[in-house]
Amino acid sequence: MRVGIPRALLYYRYGPFWERFLAGLGVEPVVTRRTDKELLQLGLQHVSSEVCLPIKIIAGHIADLKGRVDAVFLPRMVWLEDELYACPKMIGIVDIARMMLGDGTRLIAPSIKRNFLWPHFRAGVEMCGSPLRAARSLARARSLLAGPPVALRLEPGEKRIALIGHFYNIEDDYIGQPIISAFRKQGYRLVTKDELPESVLRGRQGFAKSIRWVFERELYNAFRFLVGSVDGVCVLVSMGCGPDSLIAEFMKEEAGRRGVPFLQLVLDEHTGTAGLVTRIEAFLELSQRRQQLTRAA
Amino acid sequence: MKATFPLLGYDTYALKTFVEDLGGEVVLPPATSKKTLEAGVEASPELICMPFKITLGNFLEALDMGADTVFMAAGARKCRFGYYHYLQERALARSGRPFRLIPVSQYSPYAFLFRLMPVTFGVSPTRVIRSVAVMFYKAGLTHEFRALLNRRRALDFAGTERLKPRALELLEAARSTSEIRAARRSLRRLLGCNGSRPVLRVGLVGEIFFMIEQFANGDIEKELARLGVEVVFERSLLHHLRHLLHLDWSFYRSRRLARRYLRECPGGEALRTVGEAIHFVEHDRVDGIVHVYPFTCMPENIALEALQQLTEDTGVPVLSLSFDEHTSRTGLQTRLEAYVDMLRRRSRERSISRD
Ligand code: SF4
Ligand code: SF4
Repeated sequence: MRVGIPRALLYYRYGPFWERFLAGLGVEPVVTRRTDKELLQLGLQHVSSEVCLPIKIIAGHIADLKGRVDAVFLPRMVWLEDELYACPKMIGIVDIARMMLGDGTRLIAPSIKRNFLWPHFRAGVEMCGSPLRAARSLARARSLLAGPPVALRLEPGEKRIALIGHFYNIEDDYIGQPIISAFRKQGYRLVTKDELPESVLRGRQGFAKSIRWVFERELYNAFRFLVGSVDGVCVLVSMGCGPDSLIAEFMKEEAGRRGVPFLQLVLDEHTGTAGLVTRIEAFLELSQRRQQLTRAA
Repeated sequence: MKATFPLLGYDTYALKTFVEDLGGEVVLPPATSKKTLEAGVEASPELICMPFKITLGNFLEALDMGADTVFMAAGARKCRFGYYHYLQERALARSGRPFRLIPVSQYSPYAFLFRLMPVTFGVSPTRVIRSVAVMFYKAGLTHEFRALLNRRRALDFAGTERLKPRALELLEAARSTSEIRAARRSLRRLLGCNGSRPVLRVGLVGEIFFMIEQFANGDIEKELARLGVEVVFERSLLHHLRHLLHLDWSFYRSRRLARRYLRECPGGEALRTVGEAIHFVEHDRVDGIVHVYPFTCMPENIALEALQQLTEDTGVPVLSLSFDEHTSRTGLQTRLEAYVDMLRRRSRERSISRD
């Protein structure tokens, strides 16, 4: 059996785990290619133009799998411990995928509600028919969930920007990568939340406690942790993203209060790389000028 | 205390009765206008959804009129709504007027009945429960009024519009259960239409604020009635209140029906939107479904895909309308006219093929 996995959204966090898990079940995982213009165009045909870019992109990946595989594996994250929810569109995309795939291609979509492994186990049994094999494969893949150990090392004197954005945006070739290279070209080091330990990201101090979206709480905590030690904050927001439209507002206010340069980049399928690069350069110039001023003072 | 709260179309009267029954004084801002919206947009984050901007505009106007206490629903789950009040409080503080914003968490009815309301108004919980009962009763009246109005307007537009001010007076004046009962009788007499029914009927579904606040939805019920179409609806404050107390059976029905397309609740009211649409199509035999929601609304954009699938499966046309601050009334009218024309053609063709 060939089982497709869209390389989008949660794949950027759980991808290696899923691939190893499926391979261990004896099915063949088929991961879609990295996002390109064509996949995005494909996605645009399947979802409304108002949804955020990552959803348009994943729709493209799903459409690309249709007919090519026997089943599509797309776990649905609903909520995690501490009653932290996923965003409505992340939950709903699974149902959209079912409608897109129709009857021809099966959809395997374990619902994750608090417990992460149990739904995967059940999906595994559904795919290979053997509870023993599913359990063994899960146990073997499990080590990939933790990811590499992280340690934030800040070199004195380097120029740093905190890049705050969803991992599926930052790591996507189509969305995040042009932005990252624009910063790098100017000699800036980018710090993302991936370099922060879990204990920081999961924190519930201050306003973070009131945030009930799992990824949004991580972003906000990362922002709070980094804002004092960087030359500027760049927040990457997708046009049409609900959670970001709110949480970015809190960050903007706080950065303003502390006098940290703040740039909010709003992305949609029409944003050209050229325009973004100009904005980034202007922003960096501003933050440099500000630094010189403080040094002089 | 001079209290204010978001305007919710005709259901505003029910909220007003509630606060007044508890002994508060209500300051209602003028009906939402272009000016309200502009003020709200000005003070809001650019990318936030419309209900935030409109209600903020209402609050700003109410503060100008001397209100000092703002009640805003709260309670964060999957959608943005629960976070509104944090940002609205900051935006109102920037306006420089003294005020107090009281977030009313939707998901803790006990705290509402036994702590929040008694403390805020200095009354006993029994009194609060009584007032809630009156609000329920009144919300039932506004719901029925809307249904009567929609049918009657579709049959006789000009005549009903003439009766409307009188009906609204009746609606507003009823404060106690006995008065509400009397008002219900008078309204039925005033607006009843002796069993006659308009030819075309459409079901209205979508995001609740946009379904019940006439300014927000460009008074879509009126515009459709002008074209001779009756709008049937299910959601209103009444059903929302019932739902918060876990007493709304129609919600369970909607959830069951919606499972056909949506297996998991994406938050907001997507399940109700889809479930009601299926119910209207299969049970009420409506001619079409009109789906209203704010631009970039997350749950409704998921529901949108399900509704398109519904059209494919049943053939009933769905008109999805997303509203933002640039939506114009004339543009809306043109789209509605084209849609109604299409419905009319369809129903004619069907009756021919039936003969
Ligand atoms: S969090 Fe934002 S970007 Fe991510 S899926 Fe939800 S709306 Fe889209
Ligand atoms: S349901 Fe729609 S309008 Fe309401 S808070 Fe959520 S996104 Fe905004």
